[in-house]
Amino acid sequence: MSVDLSNVRNIGISAHIDSGKTTLTERILFYTDRIHAIHDVRGKDGVGAKMDSMELERERGITIQSAATFCNWKDLNINIIDTPGHVDFTVEVERALRVLDGAVLILCSVGGVQSQSITVNRQMDRYNVPRISFINKCDRTGANPERVTDQLRDKLGLNAHMLQLPIGLEIDLEGVIDLVTMKALYFDGENGETIREEEIPAELKDAADEKREELLDAVSMFSEELMEAMLEEQEIDPIMVKEAVRAGTLALEFSPVFIGSAYKNKAVQPLLDAVEYYLPSPTDVENIGLDLEKDEEEFAVSNDSDDPLIMLAFKLEDGRYGQLTYVRTYQGTLTKGDTVYNTRTNKKVKVGRLVRMHSDEMEEIDSCTAGDIVALFGVDCASGDTFTDGKLTCSMSSMHIPEPVISLAVLPVDNQAQVNMSKALNRFTKEDPTFKTFVDHETGETIISGMGELHLEVYIERMKREYSAEVEVGAPQVAYRETISARAEFNYTHKKQTGGSGQFGRVSGYMEPLEEGEYEFEDKIVGGAIPREFISSCDKGFKKSLQKGVLCGSAVTGVRCVINDGSFHAVDSSDVAFQLAAIGAFKEGYMKAKPTIMEPIMKVAVEGPSEFQGSVMGSINQRRGMIIGTTEEGTYTVVEAEVPLSEMFGYSTTLRSLTQGKAEFTMEFALFKPVPKSVSEELIKKFQDEKKEK
Amino acid sequence: MGKEDLVSSNPLRALGLEKTEEGDGHRAGLVMARAGLGKTAILVQIALDSMLRDNKVLHVSIGEGVDKTRTWYDDILNLMNEEKKVEGFQEIVADVMQHRMIMTFKESGFSAAKLEERLADMVQQDIFKPASLMIDGFDFAAPESESSLVELKGLMEKNDLKMIWLSAVSHRDDTRVSDNGVPAPCHEVDGFFDTVLLISPEDNALKLKTLKCSADCSVDAGKSLLLDPATMLIKKA
Repeated sequence: MSVDLSNVRNIGISAHIDSGKTTLTERILFYTDRIHAIHDVRGKDGVGAKMDSMELERERGITIQSAATFCNWKDLNINIIDTPGHVDFTVEVERALRVLDGAVLILCSVGGVQSQSITVNRQMDRYNVPRISFINKCDRTGANPERVTDQLRDKLGLNAHMLQLPIGLEIDLEGVIDLVTMKALYFDGENGETIREEEIPAELKDAADEKREELLDAVSMFSEELMEAMLEEQEIDPIMVKEAVRAGTLALEFSPVFIGSAYKNKAVQPLLDAVEYYLPSPTDVENIGLDLEKDEEEFAVSNDSDDPLIMLAFKLEDGRYGQLTYVRTYQGTLTKGDTVYNTRTNKKVKVGRLVRMHSDEMEEIDSCTAGDIVALFGVDCASGDTFTDGKLTCSMSSMHIPEPVISLAVLPVDNQAQVNMSKALNRFTKEDPTFKTFVDHETGETIISGMGELHLEVYIERMKREYSAEVEVGAPQVAYRETISARAEFNYTHKKQTGGSGQFGRVSGYMEPLEEGEYEFEDKIVGGAIPREFISSCDKGFKKSLQKGVLCGSAVTGVRCVINDGSFHAVDSSDVAFQLAAIGAFKEGYMKAKPTIMEPIMKVAVEGPSEFQGSVMGSINQRRGMIIGTTEEGTYTVVEAEVPLSEMFGYSTTLRSLTQGKAEFTMEFALFKPVPKSVSEELIKKFQDEKKEK
Repeated sequence: MGKEDLVSSNPLRALGLEKTEEGDGHRAGLVMARAGLGKTAILVQIALDSMLRDNKVLHVSIGEGVDKTRTWYDDILNLMNEEKKVEGFQEIVADVMQHRMIMTFKESGFSAAKLEERLADMVQQDIFKPASLMIDGFDFAAPESESSLVELKGLMEKNDLKMIWLSAVSHRDDTRVSDNGVPAPCHEVDGFFDTVLLISPEDNALKLKTLKCSADCSVDAGKSLLLDPATMLIKKA
């Protein structure tokens, strides 16, 4: 069975928070007849936008979890992933970009390119996602799409050019001029559903001609035909221009810019046309798989529906319909009732139900083919798993997953809450690889960790709302790390000969800092000083030691342990004895190896009116932050800095009061750095005090 | 090789930059070249030399973003490390970067008055008090450029900035020069500068000519510095 993949678009909608992407998605669904009424994000009608399906999302007016939906525009099948706007949920954005072929970057015509747009753009670059931009909110006071287009060039380095000009701006926004067809478009009817095409208003004709010339100059390099036509001063066929724009966009060398106002129902339909004209179909994109039988050799997947199946699970959800697994099919066809093979777990699983998701509603389908994004029921897997039909042993490229940087303790209030919390955590950790949980064996506390305060806050809220798990929450804790900064030798004998069978093992060697990676073990034993069967015991002992450092109890990373001598006892040596000897050896070497505590440093960008720049910099300075630079953008200034995460708790409140609520900030993990001596001493003292209390 | 060696072996020593910073004087420098020949690379190396000597540097970039400017510093430092194999390089980088702040403006958004305002924000709160100022992308062709330079000189004295360096683009087809050989568009303002360096492509090499030099400078008349075209690092000729 073959499907014309040239009519399929898998697109993501990414943007800075509050640039109106959920509103835009709502309009897209309306114009493609998937919904029959429009609801606002912070809806007064109490319904909320379609894509914000979680109660919490509707309440806060932000998108937390991406929801997949499907719609038809003319002959086109569009799969849309609505992605979150807050940097704490970046993994959702990244996962969406991994499986999508193209993206629409939404920008606010007033706010322009903001810090989150830069982050999202960087992610799109990482996954080579061709993108078009939509400058939304052109009806708002201060709207300036030309300035935003300049910012797309200056700040994001995109070869961005407007394909439309506004007819009026702010409250006077009437429609747009299409610079390809040179027609004026107006959007009539209660919801802007009727498009009226007219001649360009006389007063805008010169501006339109000038902008079209600029556009043609910019795209002519992507089409010899267009360049020739321009040189010979022939009439330019719009199709020629569209092909040139498409070629430049797919090559990631050109970025077309569209304008409008989703809220006022202006120019959303031309954006849908642009998705068709300028964003790639699954066959336009080369997707790379890893052949697990050939040492992960890369190969290009075929996109052919008749080839053996390859699909990637990129998102899991455990909603009211049970376990849902979102998959992107890269090649082959999957039919209801087929058995698929998980190449990570080597397990086979039968696909009982296959559905196409439309936010939180679904539509049963019988099969899906290459290029499709659908959801499976009852498939047990983790996010990022690859499924095949068993004929291929391959994996799609792994996804970039950052390590959690913040953690906090959660304590269920009663037994029922304990049961519910376990269920919730089980689901969340499967769904979100950046959200982790474990039990601290010393305190018995359940610890959750993630990418930021808001990230964890949302999960706690979800525990309460979706699982009725009432929990008490401890103060957020920074995920410190310990490491060593010098080479040190160890020679430790573990001997126990009191009662029962004895224990004996001696481990000798050295440890040294490891530039890249968390841990390495090397066996340089010669002559059987430690018998072969106990070498892995030494490795196990070292690994156990890494779990909790002696300075502040944090995980130890960046250590290379080498053993080069030892001794054993024919009767008393055992696996346990050598594990304990390695633990003793680690302790002995560790304190000599100049251990240090490392803390997560966040890349922080604060954006606000320039008049507050001094206060903002002062507030960063007080938080042990290092200001990297400032960027002046008209009346706004962005201050970029690196600040320890431990100092960022409660910063949003401070910033609000410092700037009368006019500044905002984003932060993401940058790197681990050694803590200053005073902080190190404080952490060590705190850890010692806690140990004494226990 | 350690941090001190990086300073002592720097070919920039020939320009005697450190002598100005140690004394009470103020020095204004200018790097000129045609577009794309490496003005920013020279400014960054002068800035890094100052930072390695524990001076704070404010790098003002007009028309470029923070990330791009930051990348220049990272790249030049990495190249210096590749060439000289510096001991404890990562620690040196971490330490040196504490001495730099980048401030960027759009071409149309820069003025000496605005810079002074931003600088005051930082100095008054004791956030960052620079000893040197690098201004990359200053528009010498603008009608108000001369008055801006006067304002910058005032700003330098008021804030006790030991050094201020600017970059300027010269054009092949504009043959005007000052008596010192300083090309247009800076030929009429060369009195503002104590040191003027010109990147000049000659004999398949990029020469760093010293058109004008203060008394501290010890570059021999016949010898100029070179710019390695592959790395953009300054070398002795």
